[in-house]
Amino acid sequence: MRNFRVLMSGIIDENPTFRLLLGMCPTLAVSTAAFNGLGMGLAATAVLLASNVLISLMKPVIPDKIRIPCYVVVIATFVTMVDMVMGAFVPDLHSVLGIFIPLIVVNCIILQRAEAFASKNSVLSSAFDGIGMGLGFTLALVALSSVRELLGAGSIFGVNIMWHSFEPMRLMVSPPGAFIGLGLIIGLINTLRPKKA
Amino acid sequence: MVKSFPGGIHPPYRKEATSALAIERMNPPKTVAIPLQQHIGSRCDPLVAVGDRVLMGQKIGDSSAPISAPVHSSVSGKVTAIEQRPHPNGRTVLSVVIANDFQDEMVALMPAPKLEQLTAEQLTALIREAGIVGMGGGGFPTHAKLKPPQGVVLDAVLLNGAECEPYLTTDHRVMLEWSADVVYGLRCLMKAARVEKGYIGIEVNKPDAIEALKAEAKDYSSIEIVSLAVKYPQGAEIQLIDACLGRKVPSGKLPLHVGVVVNNVHTAQAVAKSLRTGVPSIERVITVAGNCMERPGNLLVRVGTTFADILADRGLKCEPYKLISGGPMMGIAMYSADVAVCKCTSGILALSKDEATYRIPGNCVRCAKCVDVCPMLLHPTFIAQYAERGMMERAEEYGAVDCRECGACTYVCPVNLPLTQHIRLAKSDIYAKRK
Amino acid sequence: MEIKRLAVSSSPHLHSGDSVQSAMLHVLIALAPAAAFAVYHFGLHVLFVLLTGMAVAIAAEALILRLVKKPMTAIRDGSAAVTGLLLAMNLPAGIPLWTITIGAGLAIGIGKHVFGGLGHNPFNPALVARAILLVSWPERMTAWVGPMLISAATPLSEFRTSRIVPAYGDLLFGFKAGSIGEIAVFLLLLGGAYLIYRRIIDWKIPVSFIGTVALLTYILPAREQSSYFAGNPLFHVLSGGLVLGAFFMATDWTTSPVTKRGRVIMGVGCGILTSVIRLYGGMPEGVSYAILIMNGLTPLIDRYTLGSRSGAR
Repeated sequence: MRNFRVLMSGIIDENPTFRLLLGMCPTLAVSTAAFNGLGMGLAATAVLLASNVLISLMKPVIPDKIRIPCYVVVIATFVTMVDMVMGAFVPDLHSVLGIFIPLIVVNCIILQRAEAFASKNSVLSSAFDGIGMGLGFTLALVALSSVRELLGAGSIFGVNIMWHSFEPMRLMVSPPGAFIGLGLIIGLINTLRPKKA
Repeated sequence: MVKSFPGGIHPPYRKEATSALAIERMNPPKTVAIPLQQHIGSRCDPLVAVGDRVLMGQKIGDSSAPISAPVHSSVSGKVTAIEQRPHPNGRTVLSVVIANDFQDEMVALMPAPKLEQLTAEQLTALIREAGIVGMGGGGFPTHAKLKPPQGVVLDAVLLNGAECEPYLTTDHRVMLEWSADVVYGLRCLMKAARVEKGYIGIEVNKPDAIEALKAEAKDYSSIEIVSLAVKYPQGAEIQLIDACLGRKVPSGKLPLHVGVVVNNVHTAQAVAKSLRTGVPSIERVITVAGNCMERPGNLLVRVGTTFADILADRGLKCEPYKLISGGPMMGIAMYSADVAVCKCTSGILALSKDEATYRIPGNCVRCAKCVDVCPMLLHPTFIAQYAERGMMERAEEYGAVDCRECGACTYVCPVNLPLTQHIRLAKSDIYAKRK
Repeated sequence: MEIKRLAVSSSPHLHSGDSVQSAMLHVLIALAPAAAFAVYHFGLHVLFVLLTGMAVAIAAEALILRLVKKPMTAIRDGSAAVTGLLLAMNLPAGIPLWTITIGAGLAIGIGKHVFGGLGHNPFNPALVARAILLVSWPERMTAWVGPMLISAATPLSEFRTSRIVPAYGDLLFGFKAGSIGEIAVFLLLLGGAYLIYRRIIDWKIPVSFIGTVALLTYILPAREQSSYFAGNPLFHVLSGGLVLGAFFMATDWTTSPVTKRGRVIMGVGCGILTSVIRLYGGMPEGVSYAILIMNGLTPLIDRYTLGSRSGAR
């Protein structure tokens, strides 16, 4: 039950993108199309899950003073693996995401979960946290990139769903559109969430 | 040439109702309540006791403090009480209540000798004994202005006849009807301050007063009548000095630091009258105006007459929405009509609701109108917003204490912000901290 | 008469009667002649564009005020109508109604209310919307037309390619292609003079803005082929959106500096940016981006020109 709560909190209450405002760089850069967002989210989820588990396992042996470099080494290992796997199996997506796959190394969600959660909790909890946070990140990316793709290109996941004469709003697939879209979604979520007393 | 200053506003002057009406003497009231503080500085101690009979012109209060002026009885009669009474400044002040016996029995008067036979020290002492204070509204004891501190050299006396406040016509009528006294008073003040040059600044909307004073002063080459642009606040000391003499009073300094003593024309008239007749300062001219007045006018009233007596004498058409002591721009709204006229009360305005409607404030739209009109070249909206948020250090940094509270910023604000009120708050907070 | 109750408040007890509403009304009056000329020059479609812009802006304002639970009375200040009209006047005459609808909604929503509404927006809402539309639908936003909505090049883009300067009279009186509101330079000058006379705007921003553009376009060579001190300042002042921008957009109360020195800096800064974009930039016209950039610098300009006790003498 507790692990389920950890999982759900990563997706909703502590959604890394919309609630914690972490990992803004890949969020803003790759959310131009829903498919890119999904790919980025899943890649990050894989790294997050693996690094959380490994760091939780290694926490007795990591010296406190050099823990951050240790985390980075662990994370970088998994990122390299994911980068290679994606390059081999989904080369198109890999080339679109480009530099942002290697940059998962410095994605603050992963480093923050290692520092704040995996280094203090059991392996199982850390695995659930990794999945939860990863899915939360993926969900946020898909939501933002769907909106941007819909308005900026008239499609979602490449499927054209707007009417024939629709003229795409090119702002939404350009960088300012990412900021405006993200801001409006966060604002909407803050408005809809029940206010805490 | 018409002289002026930077900034300022053009409010509706509304002087037509009273500017052509001659000064009328109001019948003395049944009782007067004479405040023992009618000036800036220390309060006087009463010199009479309940039950005493006092004569008109008798000194009833005095203080040994350097910044103060004695208070005299304006009627003859019996002291019925010495108690706290409401004062035009909004607080209560110890006041001597006298029941008028309508005898107007005067104390033994000693008119002063001719001006040529008096020294500066004697003149200053006589002005103090006559209880003369600034009658334009400030109420600063006049004798204290004439003794500059060490190291300050005075070179001019400036009489303020601008009367830029809407509604008020007090100074206008005084200059027109008693021009000889105004010029004689100026000469007395010049001699007392040991200066060679005298100026009288008058807004050009009072051409008759300018003519009258020019005719009166034509024999004195040391006195110059200066025509000023019709603009509010032309009668504020700092703006008046700027317009008449082109001198800028530095931040935190007084007019005397640029060598000037500024007095109201009514003050000069009071000086002349008390030296001529020996009667101390016990009456003054006030403008009674506003939409609610049945018979507006310029009244010569005894000090200590309550507003209620004056309103009853002139009649009210409707219940006033606001009752103001002074002019509508800088005057104080009264909470009661039981307030007594003091030496610095320049007018009583009974305003109807459509003359002085309350407006709901919005939020600043940065239109910068307040910056354009501020005669002190401040940025009122910034000071007011810092004051509103309690950031008094920042308000001070932006010059809050240089504000003279003329109200021009509040007058023009399109979103009705109470800028002057916020700045006033900042000033009192800053002064309290400095003490 | 007995006095029962007296109102007590801090002085002053008089008010000028000025309000945001009266100021916005004056702005609408000042813009009306130029807008009317555009309807005459381009045709009836322009009237629908102008009306759609204003109506959608007002509707968006009402909707947002309701959503954020602010008093609906704020709609009466007329600022939404001015924003809608200014946006419409910044668009080409042939713009479809759906574009101006989106633009007016974005101007009020993203340009104004996300920052807290009137008085809080850092950028001119109409120009924010124009920038968004220009990025989103560049073909629509640069489809310049002449009378009867027939395609035509604006004087500035014509000049850029062929160095042809049209007759100055045509430039001044508006017989040319361009945005709806920018063509009638003479009527805009009249409107601007009216606003200065009514003390709605300060002369410092438009004069320093236009003066700087005139000076720089005279001094600086337009790209490599021309020499220094050989420019055509009159042409640059009379073409493009300079007069519209200088009098009606750069002077926007909320987004321009409050200090007197700051207003001059604002005007000069806008002038420098406009000239540089026109002479060396990738676009033929740069007024709106120049104003947006200076809007962003406004708080900084205010901060540095306020100084310490700058008002004290």
